[in-house]
Amino acid sequence: MLLSAKQDWLGNIRGDILAGIVVALALVPEAIAFSIIAGVDPKVGLYASFAIAVMIAIVGGRAGMISAATAATALLMVTLVKDFGLQYLLAATVLAGLLQIVAGYLNLHKFMSFISKSVMTGFLNALALLIFMAQLPELTNVTWHVYALTALGLGIIYLFPYVPKLGNLLPSPLVNIVVITLIVYFMDIDVRTIGDMGELPDTLPIFLWPDVPLNFETLSIIFPYSVSIAIVGLLESLMTANVIDELTDTESDKKRECKGQGIANIGSGLIGGMAGCAMIGQSIINVKSGGRGRLSTLVAGSFLLVLVVFLSDILSIVPMAALVAVMIMVSIGTFDWGSLTALRSNPTSASTVMVATVIVVVWTHNLAFGVFTGILIGSLFMAQRLSQFMYVDSSFDDASDTRTYTIIGQVFFNSSDKFISFFDFKEAVDKVVIDVHRAHFWDITAVSALDKVVIRLRREGADVSIVGLNDASETLLDKFAVHDKPEEIEKIMGGH
Amino acid sequence: MAEAIKGLVLAGVDGSDSSNSVLDYAIWIAKKSQSPIKILHTIEHSHHSEIPHHEGTITPNMKENLLDELSDEERLESKKLITEGKAIINDARQKAEDAGLTDIIAKQRHGTLAEALVDLEPELSMVILGATGEDHSGDKQGLGAQLEQAIRAIHTPVFIVKGDYTEPKTMMFAYNGSPTSKTALQLVAQGYFCNQALDIHIVSVKSNIEDAEELINEAQSVFAKTDITVVTKALVGDAIDELTQYQQENNIDVTTMGAFSHGKMHGFFFGSFTTRMLLESNTNFLLIR
Repeated sequence: MLLSAKQDWLGNIRGDILAGIVVALALVPEAIAFSIIAGVDPKVGLYASFAIAVMIAIVGGRAGMISAATAATALLMVTLVKDFGLQYLLAATVLAGLLQIVAGYLNLHKFMSFISKSVMTGFLNALALLIFMAQLPELTNVTWHVYALTALGLGIIYLFPYVPKLGNLLPSPLVNIVVITLIVYFMDIDVRTIGDMGELPDTLPIFLWPDVPLNFETLSIIFPYSVSIAIVGLLESLMTANVIDELTDTESDKKRECKGQGIANIGSGLIGGMAGCAMIGQSIINVKSGGRGRLSTLVAGSFLLVLVVFLSDILSIVPMAALVAVMIMVSIGTFDWGSLTALRSNPTSASTVMVATVIVVVWTHNLAFGVFTGILIGSLFMAQRLSQFMYVDSSFDDASDTRTYTIIGQVFFNSSDKFISFFDFKEAVDKVVIDVHRAHFWDITAVSALDKVVIRLRREGADVSIVGLNDASETLLDKFAVHDKPEEIEKIMGGH
Repeated sequence: MAEAIKGLVLAGVDGSDSSNSVLDYAIWIAKKSQSPIKILHTIEHSHHSEIPHHEGTITPNMKENLLDELSDEERLESKKLITEGKAIINDARQKAEDAGLTDIIAKQRHGTLAEALVDLEPELSMVILGATGEDHSGDKQGLGAQLEQAIRAIHTPVFIVKGDYTEPKTMMFAYNGSPTSKTALQLVAQGYFCNQALDIHIVSVKSNIEDAEELINEAQSVFAKTDITVVTKALVGDAIDELTQYQQENNIDVTTMGAFSHGKMHGFFFGSFTTRMLLESNTNFLLIR
């Protein structure tokens, strides 16, 4: 809608521009830090952040959300860069973008409903841990100056906002960078600076096709990385979109967001940037700073480029300690501290899912594996619970020597053994009636369990008849859908 | 006729000057068609925090804290808007009761007018809106900010009130042979809009008289099967000029036409015919999509 597009862009000009500037200032150190995590020159992350933010502002599905180079995607690239170099990373970035566009067309965003709150918490906690662990190389085998500077930086970041007036005006991560840089520069302390970590941008980015041979071998190298990047990128982006939806009480277009992330990543790869996605922390900061519209994301990306191109000389003397302080802040802020105390109060199943997600991520350095593990364990717990929704009532009629089993509830792979165990095969009776009209057979395991029971009873010499099989097997079809009428739901929950 | 408008007649009120005449027309239509009337007021959320933070620090539980803060701020604003809106719709309900209507529903909804209409559309048979909204009372453009968005969002006929209430007596149906226009023709011929109370003029404008007369004949043949008598006129020239002139010469109260038959992009680049007609006429409009 053109009118809502206008609202998205121009509905909040002043707030968007101010917030965009705050975000741009915060993005610079993060983009540099994430480049260092991925093992590439800072300019790769900076160009990526510019390209992704500017493009997602236009093609994204969530106004006011910030996308750029991120830790989640940077962590996936480490071995690719180490083994094959930057050009393969750029190719993998473009391919990840293509995959995300395909995911958008296939409506894969709908699978987000499988991600439970516990998996999401695990994702964030794992991300926080990985960001923190990525700072450790900067904090080992260094002089005491680095520790002192990092501690001072953290002090500034957390205490500066309490300074009256000024504290609410200047982003404290920026103040930290300026102060630490000035101290190191004027006191002439010998510590590592951003300039030591690789090349900074001194020109505007230019269009470059990744310099890789276009053959099957290249594809087989980059494809696994691209799949991981595409999945993790979409996961974090869609999670962030949900967060912003909730904060602003508005809706986002998830399908458009998936395709938008793809387009932005392709664009980033083609101007020499790494892959990225939405950033939860920065997006919340944007909203907190008053940003609501697409303009805020556009300003963040464009202002970032202006900053780095014109200030690259100054940026190169910023000590790594200042950057590490910013990253520790990101890590502390990303971690869900409440989830630690909730470990005791939450059900064990929920805590298991969360902890398993974290462990797998920290072990594999791949957030996608952690999320899959979390989903898998969570689904098993759910199957376990559903299998408790089954019960067998049995009665015996002396006159006709007939045993009647009435099955009520859900029969599926996980409850079929329990289903079989309800039957007393040792009882010698003439007739057995199995009444299943109030049961639901959800899969073929359930049907074969019933077959097994019938065969065993027949072997013992009983005449077996089954009542209500048609009702029970209604739920067998894949396309079976619970209707939205209350009486239909009642049937499923309470038997027919 | 009574069977033509079956569902609710919805009057959109916002407390602006034009919203009084919107209600008058809605009462007239509801009475004539013996339909229930629904009075709707929408509460639009455009809250922007007055105290943005610029400290840029990512702190633990930032989302939860910010969510609490924002929802507290908005809660107060929403409560205020709801109270104001309640007063508006209670006045409107009183007026409808005084006018002798009995089947009255008065509702408030959150969101834009277009969103509300989309949600309510299944139960509606006609929507009555003011041409100017509360924000645009003195706007030179003369059309409410939300009007076009609202009209485009639904397919229920929309009655647009341009000025103060006078009991409608004459209706001009602008027929151009387009698909939406044909749909509109059918509705009018079926007695959709209070036809017994109105003189109906069917007007077609084309660049040459033969084409215009052909359209008129087409329209007449549709009405020939009904017991509705119509006045017809074939005109040559620029559609907007001729139609607005005809409106003035014949004291037309309501202009009926198919609306927004072209896509949004067409309207964006060339300016929509419907929008231009709305701007340049002084009559009320019945737009049929």
